[in-house]
Amino acid sequence: MSEKQEITLVVDGVEVQATEGSMLVDAAKGGDVEIPVFCYEPKLGPPVGACRMCLVEVEGIPKLQTACSTPVRDGMVVYTRTDRVKEAQNAVVEFLLVNHPLDCPVCDKGGECPLQDIAMGWGAGRSRFTDPKRHFQKPVPLSPLVRIDRERCILCYRCVRFSQEVAEDEQLQLLERGANTFVGTFDDHPYIAPFHGNVIELCPVGALTSEAYRFRARPWDIEDAGSICTLCPSQCNVKHTVRDDVVERVLARDNPDVDDGWLCDKGRFGFQMLASSDRLTMPQVRSGGALDEASWEEALERAASGLAAAKGKVAAIVGGGATNEEGYLVQRIVRGSLNSADVDSRPVAGPSQALRAELGRPDRAASMADVDHAQAILLLDCDPLHEMPILDLRIRKAIRRNGAKLVVASARPTALDGGAEEVERFAPSEAASFSLESDAGRVLRDAGRVVVIFGERVVCDSNPDAAASSLLTLAKELTLEEDGSGLIEVPSGANGRGLAEVGCLPGIGPGLAAAAAGRSAEEIQEALESGELEGLILWEADPVRDFPDPKAWHSALGAANFVLSISMFGNASGGHADVVLPAQGYAEKEGTVTHPDGRVQRLRPGVPAPGEVQPGWQFLTELAARLGDETGIDSAPEALAALVSEVPFYGGLTHEEIGAHGVRWQGRDSADGAAAVGGPGEHGGTAGAGTQAQSRSTGTASADAPTPNGGLRLGTYRDLWAGEVTERNPALRFLAPTQTLELSPDDAERLGVEGGEAVDVRSNGFSVRANVAIRERMRPGAGFLIEGLDGDGANVLGGAGEVSVTKAGE
Amino acid sequence: MAETRILFRELDDPALRTIDGYRRRGGYRSLERAFRELEPDFLLGQLEESELRGRGGAGFSMGKKGSFLPRGDMDKYLCCNADESEPGTFKDRELMQKNPHLLIEGIAIAALAVDATRAFIFIRGEYAEQADIVEQAVDEAYEAGFLGENILGSGFGVELVVHRGAGAYICGEETALLDSLEGKRGNPRLKPPFPAIQGLYGGPTLINNVETLMNVPLVVEHGAGWFKSFGTEESTGTKVVSVSGCVQRPGNYEIELGMPSREIIFDLAGGPPEGRGVKAWFPGGSSAPVLTADDLDVPYSFEALAGAGSMLGSGAIIVADDAVSIPELALRTARFYHHESCGKCTPCREGTNWTVKMLERVVAGEATPMDLDIITSVQENIIGNCLCVLGDAMAMPVGSMVKKFRSEFEEQLRGVASSSSGSGANGAAGTAEGTATSSLAQAGAP
Repeated sequence: MSEKQEITLVVDGVEVQATEGSMLVDAAKGGDVEIPVFCYEPKLGPPVGACRMCLVEVEGIPKLQTACSTPVRDGMVVYTRTDRVKEAQNAVVEFLLVNHPLDCPVCDKGGECPLQDIAMGWGAGRSRFTDPKRHFQKPVPLSPLVRIDRERCILCYRCVRFSQEVAEDEQLQLLERGANTFVGTFDDHPYIAPFHGNVIELCPVGALTSEAYRFRARPWDIEDAGSICTLCPSQCNVKHTVRDDVVERVLARDNPDVDDGWLCDKGRFGFQMLASSDRLTMPQVRSGGALDEASWEEALERAASGLAAAKGKVAAIVGGGATNEEGYLVQRIVRGSLNSADVDSRPVAGPSQALRAELGRPDRAASMADVDHAQAILLLDCDPLHEMPILDLRIRKAIRRNGAKLVVASARPTALDGGAEEVERFAPSEAASFSLESDAGRVLRDAGRVVVIFGERVVCDSNPDAAASSLLTLAKELTLEEDGSGLIEVPSGANGRGLAEVGCLPGIGPGLAAAAAGRSAEEIQEALESGELEGLILWEADPVRDFPDPKAWHSALGAANFVLSISMFGNASGGHADVVLPAQGYAEKEGTVTHPDGRVQRLRPGVPAPGEVQPGWQFLTELAARLGDETGIDSAPEALAALVSEVPFYGGLTHEEIGAHGVRWQGRDSADGAAAVGGPGEHGGTAGAGTQAQSRSTGTASADAPTPNGGLRLGTYRDLWAGEVTERNPALRFLAPTQTLELSPDDAERLGVEGGEAVDVRSNGFSVRANVAIRERMRPGAGFLIEGLDGDGANVLGGAGEVSVTKAGE
Repeated sequence: MAETRILFRELDDPALRTIDGYRRRGGYRSLERAFRELEPDFLLGQLEESELRGRGGAGFSMGKKGSFLPRGDMDKYLCCNADESEPGTFKDRELMQKNPHLLIEGIAIAALAVDATRAFIFIRGEYAEQADIVEQAVDEAYEAGFLGENILGSGFGVELVVHRGAGAYICGEETALLDSLEGKRGNPRLKPPFPAIQGLYGGPTLINNVETLMNVPLVVEHGAGWFKSFGTEESTGTKVVSVSGCVQRPGNYEIELGMPSREIIFDLAGGPPEGRGVKAWFPGGSSAPVLTADDLDVPYSFEALAGAGSMLGSGAIIVADDAVSIPELALRTARFYHHESCGKCTPCREGTNWTVKMLERVVAGEATPMDLDIITSVQENIIGNCLCVLGDAMAMPVGSMVKKFRSEFEEQLRGVASSSSGSGANGAAGTAEGTATSSLAQAGAP
């Protein structure tokens, strides 16, 4: 990338400094000159010059030029307010209003509408158009979440470009031609796509409105509250639209280093659960057989005494929605006052502390921006669409705009397969044996800057250390420590990375330092059942629903002497709890989270929590105090300071420094602290890694074919729409998936089942009912089920390797 | 004065359509010479020296356009624009129908000159018969080794594909043509980048009109000097002019550029029917500003017509005699562009729509004098402000009609229509005047 020169141009008589080649409309802002635009939106890609609103005069060019598509050069002289320019701007506004209904008083966009603003600022203030305007039926659903009013549409193309060039779902089209053009979908099909809510925000008029926000507020009724969405690891920067202490809408808060200004529909419409009447608003304490509401005083006292009684035998499972502060305090209580060692934040055990620290080494970490400029991207057993949706858009952008070569190496077909240079399909949980010697590997070997994105499952599997070693070998071969290259792990929990770094993994303390050996979630379950463990803290975690083998978890929780559960809603695991404390929602929390690329971001409370819900850091410090640990924490910044003091590579980090857009810790001086925990720069396992990887792959040679008794190797995945968020938000409920068994055409034929047919998937005496979906790109011998569904999730089968499939009821 | 038949030489011999007939008349000799003996740079130089200007509408020097293509290893393309849709223009249709091999020979030589290995003929969908003929000729040329890999052992190959358009006028705009060819909705692209730098599939692309490319073998055969001996200093060569509307012998005439327009309209095309005079005429398709009887002596050349405030455009003369209602002609013209506007940019989409609505009221006698001012102002607001030239293509002729025939528009407002009732504008024939208008409308119909 060559450095662009700084140049000087003159806009309306004012000298302006700008980067050569930047667009005039952006450069002019440096001289405090606003040039109006409708179609221009750099997030959508190169300018299209369609709306003609930004016409300006450039000295030496006879015709007026569109400022959105005119790159600036040194010495350029531009006029934006001459009579000629004004005439053209007036004309474009007048043309745009020819068919616009001007129904601003009843339009949701009124008050925050670029068309209103530009018509007032750059229009002539009157129209000479007296003929009938065009009419459409309106407003009609474009999808269950978005309404379209085609009369208001000014045909700026933004939504269509988003659909075609950003999300690449290609569902939105311009239909008909000329003045009869309208935005629609083929055959009027609903526009169902995971990112389609972005078109609401892109629309510069009131043509696309949110079903969830229609007629809920006027711009003068609302306040914007900036925070972070923690519904998935994307951790998109958001603005909560707050009216009367209720979140009514979620908008993107552009941060090119995190989300590029996009949101997925889960993040955009997942706010309704915050105001749900089902939320827990009071602590609950078990008395007799039932949970009764209780005061904080009583609940914390019960919690403290219950945990103290189990001292030395208490475990904690921290869910992915916890902040760094909450996670830090939970593990501090468990490891400190309770003198125990078992803390986990993942459903399946991962690699050892030394390997974990090696994987997290700052020089091997890629940033989200590195994805944009990577020459090649390896997607290792991860489907961003489901696991970190915004990353899906960023990879598409890297391919489309910068020509990155994508290699997909995964067990399950991904949404990005179509844009990949090479796709290599593995048997479930074998993707760690990916080798640079394969056709796919060759694409990466000589590519230059490579970013490797891997799903947590790659290193959280039957042999985590071997998988981590293979990955480190790969990192070395691809020289990922060089600038612009690196690793990104997509965790299963929204704050998976942060929780790991503040000490919520077994045997790994704050700062990824070695800690006393501890049990993984699965081992915790076994130890509870056997009585080796007696107490359990569940922080926003519901293992009965989400972890492998719910039946075993039921008996484990039943066997425990004392269970403390913290959650927003009542859940299956909480049904076994002795004390339940209500948790804040993500729009109510104050604290920090860490993005998968190491960016520490700040959650700010936008609305008050309902009822008597208290901040997590607050009641955790009280609980700690009752257990004898006076933390001295009295505020959220102090909670951060306390955790920072134990995480060397977060050294000195404060809320102020994190600011609105977060800070990647790898880019700070204190990052050296991270290299230290990894021990020697080279990890000991490298030498053996190759052989280990090989043994893994040879060991699975048989995975191609059905297992001897005709079964399938089962893989599982978390569908974007499987889970509590979909169920708790009325707007999203229509997206909730039903259990589906994905099969290759070969296997479907062999098993004699057809697409859509109901089957029973069985293993070890457990059974899940699913409908068959035939996937062309599925590897024969493998079958996939969805995790996280209520009742019939894949976890019912207990992480089974091999399953049998029969027609339903047989 | 008579025609100067270069492209039209022996055009009416049916055998010319076959490769044998074409070769008997010396066809493919230029190709053989170019591929065996001549360097691409020499070819490009000859084209530049000949000052051959594009015959599709813009009149840009073909050699110069070819020289804009970057050198290098990247895939380059040549597109022949055969989407002849400009109302009144039907020259490429006759040329392709009767002499398809001349086009293929021109494409192959031009491709060699600019190092384009893939070529397309984007032919208007309605030209089904012509497309069949061209496809047949392409097959013959492949068989004879004039297309395909390693032509005549030169080491250079050209693949030529005939692609039929789906009927949109806008796809004759070069960048919309590229989008359409790529399988997208035919919408014009923002320029720059120009197709010569970034065109089809992002590669450098030379786009030329059928007639332009057909001149290439002639330049190679006879030399640039010979070619420049025809025409005027700024308009070299000959031009096939499609004459239609109110003339007695409508048709295509190949003339030496610079011939007085009067001779084309009267001597070649027979002028208006007995007893009628020329009232207005489009010199270069319906998107050219209209000229009046006063302009009949303007030489038919790029520079002289520009000097007269119009343009040579696609080289199509449409004549309106004194029985034609100019307001109805304006409405008919505006309706075409309104119907064909792609809708991508605001001034064209809304301006064509608004203009039609106003002109409908004018023709129906329901407009006010203020509407005439608004029509004029709207045309001014379109011209120069659009993404491509389609908007201008309506605004220029309509604007010129209101300006030059304002009194007739005003009479229409007062209900003193000079012509028949409004039906003529819809192509319905009734009275004698109506017939005249409707034949005009037919000539202009897509």
